[in-house]
Amino acid sequence: MSTTLSTERGAGVETPPESGPFRAGGGWRRNWLGGAAGWLWLAIVVVPIYWIVITSLKSRTTYYAQNPFAPPTDPTLENYRSVVESDFARYFFNSVVVTLGSVLPAVLVSFMAAYAIVRGGAASRFLRGVNVLFLMGLAIPLQATIIPVYLIIIRLKMYDTLLAIILPSIAFAVPLSVLVLANFIRDVPKELFESMRMDGATEWGTLWHLAFPLTRPALVTVSIYNGLTIWNGFLLPLILTQSPDQRTLPLALWTFQGEYGVNVPAVLASVVLATLPIVVLYALGRRQLLSGLTVGFGR
Amino acid sequence: MGPHGTTTEVSVAYSPMSRRHFLTLAAGAGAGMTLAACGSSGPGQSGGGGGEASYWFLTAAPGEQIRTNAVNRFNKANSDTQIKHTAFENDAYKTKIRTAIGAGQAPTIIWGWGGGGLKSWVEAGAVDDLTDWFGQNAAVKDRLFPSSFGAATVNGKIYAMPCETVEPIVLFYDKRAFEKIKAEPPQSWGDIMDLVPKFNAKGIAPFSLAGQSRWTNMMWLEFLFDRIGGPEVFQAVFDGQKDAWSHPASLDALTKVQELVRANGFIKGFSSVVADANADQALLTTGRAAMMVHGTWTYGSMEQEGGDFVSGGNLGYMNFPPVDGGKGDPSDTVGNPAQYLSISSKATPEQKETAKKFFSTAVLSDEEQSEWLNTGGVPIVKGAETKIAGAKDPEFLKFIYDTASNAKVFAQSWDQALSPTAAATLLDNIAKLFQLSISPQQYIDNMNQAIGK
Amino acid sequence: MTGLAPPAAQVRAAPKPAGGRGGSLWWMALPALAIFAVFGIVPLVGVLVLSFTRWDGIGAIHPAGFESWRAVLTDPGLPHALWVTFLVMALSWAFQTPMSLLIGVFLAGRQRYRELLAVIYFIPLLLSSAALAITYKALLDPNFGLGAGFGIPFLAQDWLGRGNLALGVVVFVVSWQFIPFHALIYQGGVRQIPITLYEAAQIDGAGRLRQFFSITLPQLKYTVITSSTLMVVGSLTFFDLIFVLTEGGPGDATRVLALDMYKRGFQAYLMGPASAIAVILVLVGLALALLLRRLGGRDQSTSQMEGM
Repeated sequence: MSTTLSTERGAGVETPPESGPFRAGGGWRRNWLGGAAGWLWLAIVVVPIYWIVITSLKSRTTYYAQNPFAPPTDPTLENYRSVVESDFARYFFNSVVVTLGSVLPAVLVSFMAAYAIVRGGAASRFLRGVNVLFLMGLAIPLQATIIPVYLIIIRLKMYDTLLAIILPSIAFAVPLSVLVLANFIRDVPKELFESMRMDGATEWGTLWHLAFPLTRPALVTVSIYNGLTIWNGFLLPLILTQSPDQRTLPLALWTFQGEYGVNVPAVLASVVLATLPIVVLYALGRRQLLSGLTVGFGR
Repeated sequence: MGPHGTTTEVSVAYSPMSRRHFLTLAAGAGAGMTLAACGSSGPGQSGGGGGEASYWFLTAAPGEQIRTNAVNRFNKANSDTQIKHTAFENDAYKTKIRTAIGAGQAPTIIWGWGGGGLKSWVEAGAVDDLTDWFGQNAAVKDRLFPSSFGAATVNGKIYAMPCETVEPIVLFYDKRAFEKIKAEPPQSWGDIMDLVPKFNAKGIAPFSLAGQSRWTNMMWLEFLFDRIGGPEVFQAVFDGQKDAWSHPASLDALTKVQELVRANGFIKGFSSVVADANADQALLTTGRAAMMVHGTWTYGSMEQEGGDFVSGGNLGYMNFPPVDGGKGDPSDTVGNPAQYLSISSKATPEQKETAKKFFSTAVLSDEEQSEWLNTGGVPIVKGAETKIAGAKDPEFLKFIYDTASNAKVFAQSWDQALSPTAAATLLDNIAKLFQLSISPQQYIDNMNQAIGK
Repeated sequence: MTGLAPPAAQVRAAPKPAGGRGGSLWWMALPALAIFAVFGIVPLVGVLVLSFTRWDGIGAIHPAGFESWRAVLTDPGLPHALWVTFLVMALSWAFQTPMSLLIGVFLAGRQRYRELLAVIYFIPLLLSSAALAITYKALLDPNFGLGAGFGIPFLAQDWLGRGNLALGVVVFVVSWQFIPFHALIYQGGVRQIPITLYEAAQIDGAGRLRQFFSITLPQLKYTVITSSTLMVVGSLTFFDLIFVLTEGGPGDATRVLALDMYKRGFQAYLMGPASAIAVILVLVGLALALLLRRLGGRDQSTSQMEGM
């Protein structure tokens, strides 16, 4: 029986012709429960989004007077104009830099550490200790450690830079990523590792040529999760940066949040502008993403 | 091929892809780091070295623009001593300034609310004593409202410069609502309780209230305590006297508030109404509520967001009515006597000089006063009333001015006057009181325990 | 000849003492360890130390022995916060997991429009807590929100003003945001279940429901564990959204542990007790992780792909 790792299925094609319960006897085609859930969820998701979009087109002076769900009687782009004028592009760029600059290294080092822990943990007390250390780090509340982190950043002379946000973000992403990745790597059959070793591969080689492709679903999952957390992260940018040109998107809403109240339509306009590019990105890259989440063993 | 021939299939299938992936990852990480480091702005010490002073304040219109203008005017007139300003959102500012002061990284000029917060800074040695400076620069001190210095004084010494506007809490009402029930605005607490069922019968909520924000509830207690028992009641709490909350006026006030809640005196679901979205003001401007107890700063937003409510002359305003049989002077008021600027004790001497120069020459200049007047706020400068005639909404401005200057006692908002620790307990208990989940006696017991914290 | 090769391979394949492997592997854990040590461990030690002090964040730090710990452990607020945290965790898991599973399965269908749906579903994930709070506070406003807009009195309740309703709102908003993420994971998981299993079951006469419980769920075991791990551990330190939405209110109905810690530290400025609570959070997280490991991937001999 040959053991092939099939990638044809995951080669970027959306249709899952041979997998899943969909072709099996047609029973699932009438998946009414899933269907009901899906459509119900659509309504639940769309209503707030719809509200956000139409309110962003209303003017501050009139939006309370109208029915909140009625389309604007005289739509205006003034909110969008204010957002664009407020250096929004800069905040967006900063968020992108911080997110990519944190997620990629975080997942990389977590992957390496997870591999080491799983493969070498049986033999090495050091690695077992590292594992426990990471487990302890799972629930460290950022708000509690923010002051010591702040002091460290200042000592390292990194205050008010994007790096100040990136490094702690990586540190806080490590424990959970290692946990999830380690679980996946454990699931790789030992025989495969043995074969690699038999063929003279080094640990580094095995890491990249065996573990990496097989753990791809977990890597993608962890990357997305960390990416989302960091993209919306608020406390670190607040405490560790200061100048307006180091601000990330969550802080960009400040321009419209004052002591006299919040300019709701303008805030929503900036929310729309912040979300739109990522949605487009997601729409375009979804197939790749899904294929990354689907790596199967075909035997 | 050996018995494990399949593994070479694996290697061949994967090595080009994974190596490429790895390199892309590494490149991405490297690029990310480089870009991030490019954002560096130099030394961690805020305010940079030398004489450049720094000044942090709050964001958003109208305050941010007015403060920025003041700084720009100063910088233009003083090319060798500049001030660098940064603005932060309200809640974020509180966290940020605390962390910064704690780490010795405070800006030169610290914007604040005075009172208990200022006291905690003084106790930590974070701000400079300005009493002598005011003594030497009497002109600066004398042109400001004397009542504004109360919240800037700790242990008899002045630690902050009052600035910006005075913001008393008043009772706003919708004239149209009163026309509907053919009644007059309340002149006493008894009138208020009488009006409640009449408004409810017409489907209009008697009072709008943003219960979710809690400090809005607090304004009610501030007035009731003062009207019933006089300012001494809260003063005792503030001074840290044991069991100060057990004063009989206190129980009376707390009970009256719960009576009002039970009589449906507030908009239905008020605990879910949020102040920062101006949802409470919207209730008044759209005619769903008849009255609202709120700060005078809401005038500007009601004008902006309320359509023609204000411009159409529907907005009425008055001081909170007295309580029959109460000891408090009906002219007393509560609110924000001013905003305050302190000087960080960790700043360099040059920075402090720059700050003081800013205080004496640029804060509340004539231009700034006009800007504030146009937002519907009265700057705390003596003689500001002469400028009122030339500003927008002179009637309302005059009302603020009269209320503030005629008040026998202008008490600072409780949550600003008390220490942050006590204020936190206060707001929690007020929320529970208004939700009727604790009794007045329980409130008193809980708060007595928090005295002096 | 051929008869010889397998035994030789067998011998070589016998587990070799992994000392050598351990030796060459440890450096791989170094980068993660280094960063985590500087920005995770050192601050954590700092927090532990702080829990034995009395500090208001800006003044001098006074050593205070067990004063803060005593204050925290005897405060009835602590068991309450633990309870609320547990509730939020359990309810979000109970709501999110089945919904994500159903939606994930739904999205894995082949119709074209499901792609559009998937994109729409993804949008909540991209909204920051501030955006979500502003949106939901507006939608839940009894006078200007959903209830008023659609004229449905049921939706115009005191959502944020009554304890259990507020808790429900928190769970709902968190789920609203994160279900698409978990649905995505489940979608990937479902798609890799080999069709052969279903075909075999079909032949054996198993009905749809039976197939779901006997094939789909077990095959998704690791996906469920991954998703649940992220959900549960994530909800433990979940702070931003609850803070801006309810600030722990009304009263303390939604005051989860992380929020309790923040309010003590950054609003009441009692850093000592706040640090004590932080340490408690870490311990709870550790316990949870060990529990998850016990339930999850500990059993190395049962690979999902066995026996096929």
